[in-house]
Amino acid sequence: MNALNDEELKLFVDSVRNYFKVTTGQDPKITSAYLATEAVEGYEFNGIVSFSGSYSGQVMVSMPAQLLREVLVLQGETDLSDTHLLDAVGEIANTLAGNARKNFGPTLGISVPIKLMGATGVTARVRQRPYAITLRWGPLPALVCVDVARNA
Amino acid sequence: MIVDDSNMIRSRITRLVQNGMIGQVHVVAQAANGVEALALATRHRPELVTMDLTMPEMDGVECITKLLQMMPKTNILVVSALTDKATAIAALRQGARGFVNKPFSDDELRMALLELMDAT
Repeated sequence: MNALNDEELKLFVDSVRNYFKVTTGQDPKITSAYLATEAVEGYEFNGIVSFSGSYSGQVMVSMPAQLLREVLVLQGETDLSDTHLLDAVGEIANTLAGNARKNFGPTLGISVPIKLMGATGVTARVRQRPYAITLRWGPLPALVCVDVARNA
Repeated sequence: MIVDDSNMIRSRITRLVQNGMIGQVHVVAQAANGVEALALATRHRPELVTMDLTMPEMDGVECITKLLQMMPKTNILVVSALTDKATAIAALRQGARGFVNKPFSDDELRMALLELMDAT
């Protein structure tokens, strides 16, 4: 397997930025983007989308409840239950992964999102060092972890 | 009819319609996957469908094909995060009439739905 290059990894940064800009009208601040050395610690709501086909691995979006509540409220949503927050973080992960096909092409297979509740860390599956993007949307933090490699 | 495995997206499109932003349109049914969509379409005969592509049970492309075999005059707008051109073309070849990329703003979706309604 071949690691993604900097340009390919940056696509996910752009995708995260675009997601918040379009859905909330407010740009997030990307606070860091780095190659993590250990399991990356997330927040309590996690959406994970797996890649297959020409790429392997996964993209994880991890957010605290308050951020998801505010994003939903801005969209006019009144159901702020945990079930709805989990659905929202899964849909965000699905959107970021799906947007990658614009550059990675249609041979990139994308799973439906897995949604997990609980601040568990994510351990790299295909990269020795997963690419972690941390951001703040207003005062609220979030994490996107890209653990993806191109199949040789 | 709204077809999407995300509650968030179904609720959002429903609100947009209920707020009267799409003219005289009513949501007759919501489905979380293609199998549900086909069952509900048989019952409700929707004129206009927003269709996600990545869904469990039956994906959007297969659902478009089967839905149009049952009801060829249904207008289908794909609303998907799959932003590559090949996917958009595949959906259009199956019979979808338009394509909106996720993430979308309310205005983007409203305009796409209004254009689709004007064209039919």
